[in-house]
Amino acid sequence: MSARGRLLLIQILTPFLAIVFGALVASGIILAIGQNPLDVYALMLRFSLTRADSVAVILFRTTPLIFAGLAVALSFRANLWNIGVEGQYYVGAFAAALVGFALHGLPLWVHLPLAILAGMAGGLLWALPPIVLKLRRGAHEVITTIMMNYIAQAVVLFLLADVFRDPTQFGTPRVRTPEFGPSARIPLLRPLLAMFGLGIPEHSALNWFLPLGVVVCAAAAYWLARTRFGFEVRAVALNPLAAEAAGIRMGRVQLLMFLASGAIAGLVGLSDVLGFFGYFDIDFPKGLGFLGISVALLAKNNPIGIVPAALLFGLLDRGAQGVQVFIGIPREVITILQAIIILAIVVAYELLTRYVRQQRKHEAEHVVAAAVPAP
Amino acid sequence: MDVLSSLLSLALVASAVRLTVPIALTALGAVYSERGGVVNIGLEGIMVMGTFFGAATTHLVAQATGGAAGVSSPWAPVAGLSAAVVAGMLFALIHAVVAVTFRVDQIISGVALNLLAVGLARFLNILLFKVSTQSPGINGFAPVSIPVLRDVPAMAPVATGISPVIPLAVILVVVGQWVLRRTVFGLRLRAVGEHPAAADTLGISVARMRYAGVLISGALAGLAGGYLSIEQGRGYLEGMTQGRGFIALAAMIFGNWWPVGAFGASALFGYFDALSLRVVHTRIPYQFITVLPHLASILVLAGFVRRANPPASDGIPYSKEEG
Repeated sequence: MSARGRLLLIQILTPFLAIVFGALVASGIILAIGQNPLDVYALMLRFSLTRADSVAVILFRTTPLIFAGLAVALSFRANLWNIGVEGQYYVGAFAAALVGFALHGLPLWVHLPLAILAGMAGGLLWALPPIVLKLRRGAHEVITTIMMNYIAQAVVLFLLADVFRDPTQFGTPRVRTPEFGPSARIPLLRPLLAMFGLGIPEHSALNWFLPLGVVVCAAAAYWLARTRFGFEVRAVALNPLAAEAAGIRMGRVQLLMFLASGAIAGLVGLSDVLGFFGYFDIDFPKGLGFLGISVALLAKNNPIGIVPAALLFGLLDRGAQGVQVFIGIPREVITILQAIIILAIVVAYELLTRYVRQQRKHEAEHVVAAAVPAP
Repeated sequence: MDVLSSLLSLALVASAVRLTVPIALTALGAVYSERGGVVNIGLEGIMVMGTFFGAATTHLVAQATGGAAGVSSPWAPVAGLSAAVVAGMLFALIHAVVAVTFRVDQIISGVALNLLAVGLARFLNILLFKVSTQSPGINGFAPVSIPVLRDVPAMAPVATGISPVIPLAVILVVVGQWVLRRTVFGLRLRAVGEHPAAADTLGISVARMRYAGVLISGALAGLAGGYLSIEQGRGYLEGMTQGRGFIALAAMIFGNWWPVGAFGASALFGYFDALSLRVVHTRIPYQFITVLPHLASILVLAGFVRRANPPASDGIPYSKEEG
């Protein structure tokens, strides 16, 4: 096998090795609580893959993770740390719900795009202060975005409970916005799948945001790999000084990438709010932004890799449900597994990078040795 | 009315002192870690581990030593606090191995640590107490009064009947300042944070010093977590750290990477924290008051108060081959 082929193989194998390592550590934990890890993993796979409703649930769980992973990856690609996807999607989802219930009498092709744009605008708005403070004042975006997450929670809670709460729900424990009609809802995928003879359960909320997510990832991959702007992004990430010397305006590149990250983050919650609930309530799913960090790291910030990485996390999430229901092992085992996979994967990628560098050095030395005849 | 308002403000100050401690201890830890050149975003997760292991150990020891009679052993909170410190160090060890030995990006390692902490705390809580988000209630330390200070009228409210961890925190901050400024260890730690290659040339083990810095930060953040659950909360509650680990990082920056400075900044955040608990009956919605410390830390980071001056090699992994 050629050296190049061997390197490619190692690169593909690295994430799998990290997953296996994570599974081994999790096995230790499962053993410690007196269960057989093999039984647990077998049940996870059986539960996740052999039930028609499971496949639909996994794909539905995967949808927000694709956007979350992509949002994080876009910022990482520009050497920026957007840890604020969590707050950005929360604000975005609320903004989309607001447009959803506040406007009436619009056709779907006007209302739904407006709601989606509102979601993106909400995410973008929440990403704006950290990046402006970073570029103008040098405030480290890791901490400012984390703080913005807390502020997002508080602001949305205030708007939800004190301003936009559905008046018909007063006196009940339900704190949520009014429900909106079908004109702001993302159409389901079920009719299309049925045309191809693929039956998914009646109650599945799997919707058009899944293919949209795949398309957006593909578009981002093209944008980063084939356009002038994508080239500038890569230049800034590889060597900021050289990029600046070549006339690339680094601040502009970072600003645009971070805002793109925020806008995509605004899409994270929409599959749930516009495709499933039809309203925004106090128990709206949390933590998707942090999972997005894991997805982006697993995919090595490659937009195409985001899709399988999100799928794996969707699968783990569903498997965790099965394990909890059928064996009674807390689903948090899977949260631990996810975190360990991330630690293992970043160590593995780091070792891989070092190995590749060493190999190249080695080859270069060979080439030089061959070119220079011994005296 | 005047008396009433001054009483209220004294209560506020006493509350601010209590809430300064967890931020100050964690900020002190962050100073050790970053002076050695390692950014530790995982401090929040380490605090979470401290809150859980602190409360769980206190509860288990109190039970084992006959807490059923309602009189729990005075050693239970000591054991709990020690467990919190050890758990913090073990958790910090993961960060040290990943970020120092394997030279993985320190931010990524810290973020992963925070995710791990949340999952681990929930998991262990279910195993021990059958519920995912809180431990049974526990008793903390018997309150102490500080000799001399309690006789000064102005200081009496903050020097009598307080947790012994409060004076301990003040001592640790003063010792920290001395260690970093005046001792060989402190000088070496700062050297590997400023210019690791130069320190390496002089025979200082960069990796060992960085491990030391990270482990000390883990011990202090663990202690802060233990204080929160044992002394403040009288039990573990999921999410009780409320981002204080991150706020501590802002306090460290505001304090210009020095223990005493970080303590002063922590006092500011502790005051906002206390304010957010007390100012309930205003026309400002309470949700906005609860985020005062978070807003303040953004402003601090934006340097509206002072320009930051971090260690020169903060956050940059060091390898002998690449310099």
